[in-house]
Amino acid sequence: MLKQTIEILTSNQDSKKLCVMGNVAIARGAIEAGVCGVFAYPGTPSTEISEVFKYVDEFQNKKENEKSFPQQTKHSIYFEYSINEKIALEKAIAYSIGNKSALCVMKNVGMNVACDSLMSITYQTIAAPLVIVVCDDPGCHSSSNEQDSRYWGPMASVPVFNPATPADAIEMVKQAFELSGKIKLPVIVRTTTRVSHTRGIVTYGEIQKKNQEAKFDRLPEHINIPARTASAHIRLLDKLKSENVLSLLKQNSRIILKGDNAKLGIITSGVSAAYAIEILYQNNFAGKVNLLDLGLIHPFPEKEVLDFLKKDFKKILILEELDACIETAVRTIAQKNNLQVTILGKGFSELTATGEFSIDLLSKVIEEFSDTSFEKNKNIPLENSEKFLDKLPPRPPTLCAGCPHRATYYLLKLAIPREQNELIMCGDIGCLGLGALPPLKMIDTINHMGMSISMAQGLYESFQASEKSKKVVAMLGDGTFFHSGLSSLVNAVYTRANILVIIFDNRTTGMTGHQPHPGASRNPKYHEIEIAPLLKGIGIEVAETINPFNVRESFEKVNKAMAHQGVSVLISKAPCIFLPDFKDSVFKKMKIVVDPERCNSCANHDDVSLSCSRCYAPKNNLSRAKAKLTAEISIPGKAQLCPANICNHGFFNSILEGDYKSAVEIVRDKMLFARTCGDICHRPCELFSKENNIVPIKKLKHFVSAIEENFNDFSAPIKRAKDSVKKNKTIAIIGAGPAGLSAAYDLIQSGYDVSIFEKENKPGGMVTYAIPYFRMDKAGFDYETVQLEKMGVKFNFNKSLGKDFTLEKLSNEYDSVILAIGMNKSKTLDLIENNIPFEKKIDALAFLKSFNQNESKIKAGSVILVIGGGNSAIDAARSAKKLSSKNRIVVSCIETETTMPAFAEEVKHAAAEGVEFIFDSYADRVFAEAEGKINVTLHSFSNKNHIRDLRSDYIITAIGQSAASSEIESLVADGNSRVKSENSFTGYKNIFAAGDISSGNNMSVIGAIASGKKAASGVRKLLENYPFEYEGEKALERLNSNTCAMHQLGSTIIGDNIKLEIEKYNLHQACQKCNHCIDNFGCPAMVKVNGKVQIDMSRCNLCGLCIEVCPNNAIMWETETV
Amino acid sequence: MAKTTAMNKPAMKILIAGVGGQGIVYLSNIIVEAAMLAGIPVSVSEIHGLSQRGGVVTSGIGLGEHCTGFIGKAGVDFLIGLEPLETQRCLTFLHKNSSVIFGNHRILPYSVNAQMAAYPDVNLFVSYLKEQCKEVIYIQNFPENMDAVLYNIFLLGRASQMKDFPIKTLKMEEAINAVVAGYHKEKTLNAFNQGLNFELKKQSV
Repeated sequence: MLKQTIEILTSNQDSKKLCVMGNVAIARGAIEAGVCGVFAYPGTPSTEISEVFKYVDEFQNKKENEKSFPQQTKHSIYFEYSINEKIALEKAIAYSIGNKSALCVMKNVGMNVACDSLMSITYQTIAAPLVIVVCDDPGCHSSSNEQDSRYWGPMASVPVFNPATPADAIEMVKQAFELSGKIKLPVIVRTTTRVSHTRGIVTYGEIQKKNQEAKFDRLPEHINIPARTASAHIRLLDKLKSENVLSLLKQNSRIILKGDNAKLGIITSGVSAAYAIEILYQNNFAGKVNLLDLGLIHPFPEKEVLDFLKKDFKKILILEELDACIETAVRTIAQKNNLQVTILGKGFSELTATGEFSIDLLSKVIEEFSDTSFEKNKNIPLENSEKFLDKLPPRPPTLCAGCPHRATYYLLKLAIPREQNELIMCGDIGCLGLGALPPLKMIDTINHMGMSISMAQGLYESFQASEKSKKVVAMLGDGTFFHSGLSSLVNAVYTRANILVIIFDNRTTGMTGHQPHPGASRNPKYHEIEIAPLLKGIGIEVAETINPFNVRESFEKVNKAMAHQGVSVLISKAPCIFLPDFKDSVFKKMKIVVDPERCNSCANHDDVSLSCSRCYAPKNNLSRAKAKLTAEISIPGKAQLCPANICNHGFFNSILEGDYKSAVEIVRDKMLFARTCGDICHRPCELFSKENNIVPIKKLKHFVSAIEENFNDFSAPIKRAKDSVKKNKTIAIIGAGPAGLSAAYDLIQSGYDVSIFEKENKPGGMVTYAIPYFRMDKAGFDYETVQLEKMGVKFNFNKSLGKDFTLEKLSNEYDSVILAIGMNKSKTLDLIENNIPFEKKIDALAFLKSFNQNESKIKAGSVILVIGGGNSAIDAARSAKKLSSKNRIVVSCIETETTMPAFAEEVKHAAAEGVEFIFDSYADRVFAEAEGKINVTLHSFSNKNHIRDLRSDYIITAIGQSAASSEIESLVADGNSRVKSENSFTGYKNIFAAGDISSGNNMSVIGAIASGKKAASGVRKLLENYPFEYEGEKALERLNSNTCAMHQLGSTIIGDNIKLEIEKYNLHQACQKCNHCIDNFGCPAMVKVNGKVQIDMSRCNLCGLCIEVCPNNAIMWETETV
Repeated sequence: MAKTTAMNKPAMKILIAGVGGQGIVYLSNIIVEAAMLAGIPVSVSEIHGLSQRGGVVTSGIGLGEHCTGFIGKAGVDFLIGLEPLETQRCLTFLHKNSSVIFGNHRILPYSVNAQMAAYPDVNLFVSYLKEQCKEVIYIQNFPENMDAVLYNIFLLGRASQMKDFPIKTLKMEEAINAVVAGYHKEKTLNAFNQGLNFELKKQSV
């Protein structure tokens, strides 16, 4: 840039040829014309013009350059980026009135902001020359419309130049300055993107050194009052008819091609001329047309065009991008002069008023116009190129790696998730507008520059009276805020709008190339204006500055600002990555790495074929990431494993997300009994954790499966079973308890033909018979089991092993057999067996079964002693109490209150219902009294001291169960639950064990379910070379080894607002389905290769936010080894 | 195909294509300077509205009288691709007599990253180009240890060794000396020469 700056400030007595951009040529033109001051607002495609003067300003203000470059620094040029185009033009006008020549630079839409000042100054007067450069953007490469700025000529009655090339640009800008000075009227030089951004060869000539003394003449024209305006309008139009203008019209209406006897005429202007000339030359057609190129298009060169029209052409073609300005003028001339020539313009061939022209488009138009084919001159295109062009992924622009805007959007995504509410987010012009694109998609509206705050307050107002009244969000950049947002914000405060305004303060004007603005001047020459005190000054109560990279801290501030009623403002302040401030702030000599073990891997499942919770993990589940930031308690997923291998992590996070249906489905991925487990699970997942540091999975399961609509919908597992690839193999399951049913559930979904044999007349086993109705939803359990039938499982009731069939028979007839019979024989105490008559002693199972079937014969008012400290003892005690409140129930167990295996809350319930407990006790002596009472002497289990004697009517023993036969009891299974062939019981190799008999665990539904699943995977390993192990082993071991710990669990109360209460937890683990960073963050330095995220260090700018973003903690800093 | 202009000088169009940040404009600056030094009329057209935001950037260079930098179908005689996908996107601009050089420095667009679209098969594209165009050079692997910011210069170096490259190597080196400032000069010249002397035999496609 230094080289360019010196070149552009150097006067060349002998002209010098350079290849420069159109915009640079415009700047040079102004410098050669002796411009004193430049006022601009940046905007593509005009920006490079103002940038020339920014560099000139910096160069000339460096003391040392005064000595080294006296010529280049002598004539100092004032430059400023004004806060908007209106101020720029107003100040340029005033500067001119102060007798200093001025240049004002803006893009097409900038003129809309500035035009108020243009429209009346023309009626008044300027003093020194004033040239306005406006750059149009046909095709909208980087603009919000493709308006045609040529209209400002007739609209404001000012001359408009329309250069075609950089060489034109230099000349026309110089002419514009001269003309402006002569007629005391602003002159517009209008370009388009292709003129501004084309580089071509130009000549740098001499720089005029005009002495322009500042002065102010008290002219009556400086006061604009109605009495003068009418006559001023006449004077204005006269200026355009002056000789000064007429001579320039002649000079700039150039007949570029002058074919001999040509019958074809082309009238064109701007870049269309450049296209046409190239096409005509390259196709050897230049000699066959006459081409008139108009450089000054307002006032319209009527005389020159009329002369051209009179040249006896057969046809005239008008080539101009955008609107038919020239065409209309030419047609008017033809009509006025009664010329019969055919004029072709918009509508002919492919000429339209929209978009850009191109070599291809105009080539076609000229071929059609001249009835000539240029085919012979054309290159031969490649064959079948379409197939290589189809489906090429587009490459839309994206926020840079490390961009603070992405950080702000990500923060907003977590703090105010849009999926869950109707929040409207109004965006604005600039880099932050890229937040509308995937993956951020955080913008609902983008209008013209500065509209966001007005949009938000207007939308708020339209909803205000309705029930849907809500806060609306406006988002704009810091540059835009000063450009036009501030006045709208004042209006919002004034009208008490309920909006949140987020100022994306990246300390620069980002999109146009990092120009300064009042909030970030980066130059001691300018006063920097702080936004925060400004906001306070206009009465905004909630105004916070946040660092978007500090997501944790900023999160709360966003919530606070959202909650505020009225105007709240957040200033999200962090430097653009192109600023030195950013570069200075990042870690050097570090790199960012991804641990592939933690990225897109699953801690829970090896096999995802049966079905995986991954299917339900909603892609946009942001709760996982949010929990990482906001949860008070962080628990690794492996601390809360389930023997049924339910993805508790997915389950919990679905609930966090408010997606309760998915939570139920995630349970049903792995097992049938969501509601039953919600009632009676031993919750091994909650073992081993300190009190309150556990996610209350069981309660959550109860909560989500209580939602009838979700609970009743079993379509997904039924569909999985129906859609499964059929294996054409048959499985017999003996026993329809939770173990057998769970094995059936897995196998039917894996494509097996499953038959269940059950000795009772309904399924459920212990769950049906031994769990009392008041502890669980029996109907829910029945509903769950009946689904198996719908999935295709065949039930055979009233068939019992040994009586109706033998194991050998099933083993022969089926490909595999699962023996899932429970331990339905209660263990007994000899002391009671030997001393108590048959009718006074009951085992717990028999009692609970009779209770559940309403067949108990115990008389009301009885005293009943229950011996045992497990859940069945408590069940029996509570059931006995429920038989009649007059019954007195005493539970004696050898354990203490804190060590007994029964669930603590069950004990609590029982005590509340009036059941008495004698802990640490055992019956030392028992005898039947003559009058039918039983006399029991209880001693302390720990110190053997006598506690007391008790007289009861019945004794219920609840000290565990054993299998119905000793043969089954003695079964030994291998690690795959397969019954060992050397076992005396059977020589068959296809028999598997499940349920209580397989593990000996006592009355645990989840243990039974797990054993059923384990047997099912054993079956699959045998029959289909299933490559995976049963995945719940660890949790199952935990369950079997540590039943006592359960008692100590604090019961976490889940109230009505489940979401609020569980938000304090973060149950995290790596997830194979996770695509969080790609789906929600989308940093261009993050690429996914073979299913794992990698950081492309050549694009990474080391902001480090991805480390926070990853919910799996898979991304980290690493010191770079050199 | 190099055509003759009214002044009987060969006109030629070069297109440089890539992704914002790859140094496309920088490369065209060097070519422009070289053309100026060689006395060839030159004109450039580029669109770089959002170039710094990872968008597509192309720079068209017209050499010769009445030859703009604007590019039409089958209008590019020499294509320098800094990124394979962006090279492929320029296919309509090529013709049977075009020369193409491009490097395998892939920059995945978001749609590919998010698995919504597939990155094109580059090898397939290379064999197609070789069938269709006059001369095709594909740099599958850039020299190890070369900083990715110099890939553009490396490609330019290799390009100037190709048959139809319109500017003499000496002028290119002169241009680098004129355009590149300070301590970057040496690195740039080094990368240019590495490209210039790069043997293709070492790599298989």
